[in-house]
Amino acid sequence: MQYNPEEIHVTPMDMGGSAMSVIGLSKSFGDTPVLENINFGVDEDEIVVLLGASGSGKTTILRIIAGLEMPDSGHVVLHGRDVTESPARQRGTGVIFQNYALFPKMTVEANIGYGLRLRRRKRNEIRETVDRLVELVELQDHRTKYPSQLSGGQQQRVAIARAMAYEPEVLLFDEPFGALDAQIRQSLRKEIRALLKKLNVPSVFITHDQEEAFELADRLAVLNAGRLEQMGTPFEVYTRPETEHVATFLGAANLLDGTIRDGKFEHQDVVLELSPDNPKCREGDKVKLVFRPEDVFLRRPENLTQQYHQLATGTVDEVGFAGSYERVTVTLDLGKHKPIVVTRPKTETAAFPLRVGQSVTAGLVRYRVIKAA
Amino acid sequence: MRGFDLAKPLSIGVMIAIMLPLVLLPLASIFIFGTSNGLDNFWKALMAPEAIFALKLSIVTSFWATVFNVIFGLFAAYVLSKYNFWGRNAIIVTISLPTAIPTAVAGFALLLLWGPYGLLGRLIEPHGVHIMFTAWAIILANIFVTFPLAFGVIKPVFDTMNQSLEEASATMGATRWQTFWHVTLPGLRGAIVTGALLTFARAIGEFGSTILVSGNLASRTQTAPLYIFAKFNEGQVEAANAIAIVLALFSFVIFSILFFARDWLEVD
Repeated sequence: MQYNPEEIHVTPMDMGGSAMSVIGLSKSFGDTPVLENINFGVDEDEIVVLLGASGSGKTTILRIIAGLEMPDSGHVVLHGRDVTESPARQRGTGVIFQNYALFPKMTVEANIGYGLRLRRRKRNEIRETVDRLVELVELQDHRTKYPSQLSGGQQQRVAIARAMAYEPEVLLFDEPFGALDAQIRQSLRKEIRALLKKLNVPSVFITHDQEEAFELADRLAVLNAGRLEQMGTPFEVYTRPETEHVATFLGAANLLDGTIRDGKFEHQDVVLELSPDNPKCREGDKVKLVFRPEDVFLRRPENLTQQYHQLATGTVDEVGFAGSYERVTVTLDLGKHKPIVVTRPKTETAAFPLRVGQSVTAGLVRYRVIKAA
Repeated sequence: MRGFDLAKPLSIGVMIAIMLPLVLLPLASIFIFGTSNGLDNFWKALMAPEAIFALKLSIVTSFWATVFNVIFGLFAAYVLSKYNFWGRNAIIVTISLPTAIPTAVAGFALLLLWGPYGLLGRLIEPHGVHIMFTAWAIILANIFVTFPLAFGVIKPVFDTMNQSLEEASATMGATRWQTFWHVTLPGLRGAIVTGALLTFARAIGEFGSTILVSGNLASRTQTAPLYIFAKFNEGQVEAANAIAIVLALFSFVIFSILFFARDWLEVD
């Protein structure tokens, strides 16, 4: 397999710096493409989260890195070594499966030591490593138990310890929190992030849960229908989405179609200046305005101050209580248009209570345009 | 009595009353008649050289048939669970077929293949290789009639086995063989033991096919069930009875193991 450097978005130099990288991965199942030209790298102590809905191809990427699936084209490089053609057992990856896949007939200790036994390490070396890992994941009291005798969280810790025992080149997590209660999930995410930061292993997580992605990731990659749509820190991806899918998949977003006129966004009477960090647009380009529900401010029509970018007037459709904030939908006076969603903090709702049917003016604190597909 | 439910003792009683003439009394009569002339006579009948030979022959031939069918069943289950290919279902049906065929037909079929005038027998007999009317014939008959038993127990366990266990083992550095040995096989332990016990229990009692292929020669090719039949025909009921007790106890022990060790065997 050859790759043409011009076809890929990452230069070979970048690849050299990454502990793990995939270059130009593509794969189809029959006639259905599941991955199209996927490129990304993970640094030595970095946590990258692949975020996507089911069917986005994230699981296939993970399986290709682990060697459980073959790409139609592209490469997997681990610490400078092209392992694309190597079988799973020669890659030295550590995989934490969704259901943990602990060996049911082995104790916790035996599960953790399995990779070292396969590598024919000396018995006392295995014992020392197992001791160290059992302590690290705090399973001292459970080391002679079988997986069926452990709780979900404990099983997950065994799975992580087991994958770390043989010092893998990369840790791969396949939706590792899927099988756990919502409450445990959150505390485990923090624990695991702290643990990985201590270990200095490049890690790849896959998930469909954006909250999880935000909490775990140093960088996240958003996948949609087999394509990597955007990659960056959670802050970058959330505040500067580049596609409609990224904007709506990561948190809620309001969208408004428009056109570029004189370098500004235009939709009927709405005209908004664009800051330089917006994507380069040409005169007449069809674009979409993206703004988050928390970036909209509602005022009485006569009251909107200059510090907000005026959007339009409208009527309140619904006022809903959502715990720590209030969720309001407003139909703007822009002809036929989907109502926009606005979230308002308690301080705001107390100062300016809203009722259904009320006329308001909507102003924006922050917004972006993306190119219409 | 408050809360007394007459249905409980009544239904248990009816159940036992039905079982009594059909199962319990026939079994009881073996023991009653077998020991009616005293334990001394029972012991003497059991220790007769012909009887001992018949029991040993049954155990040995059943053992080898069991070994073969468990290994083959494991292998076939592995192949049929792992790979999808044209004719796969036809093979599954064929493996299961021998249980549905009358044992006499099975014996007859073996004769037509390996007998002096059989398809293959005709080719090997001139070279002095005899299969029919030897212990080999008994093993072949046992293999045939118990063929699907071990496979039938192992295959479903294979099918439900979590595939990610094998994948996990591979990513940790195991070869296929190491994965099979350390991960797959331990998961099949219960199914293998269960399949072996069922096969053995079925083989040791085999009569219909054995009587056709073995030649039924006392102290040479006479298995325990054939011995019972022969002695009964000769009017030596006591001799027949002694072996019958041993065979009945065998089955009792095997099925007790299957029942009481079912947690360990992981069969439900």
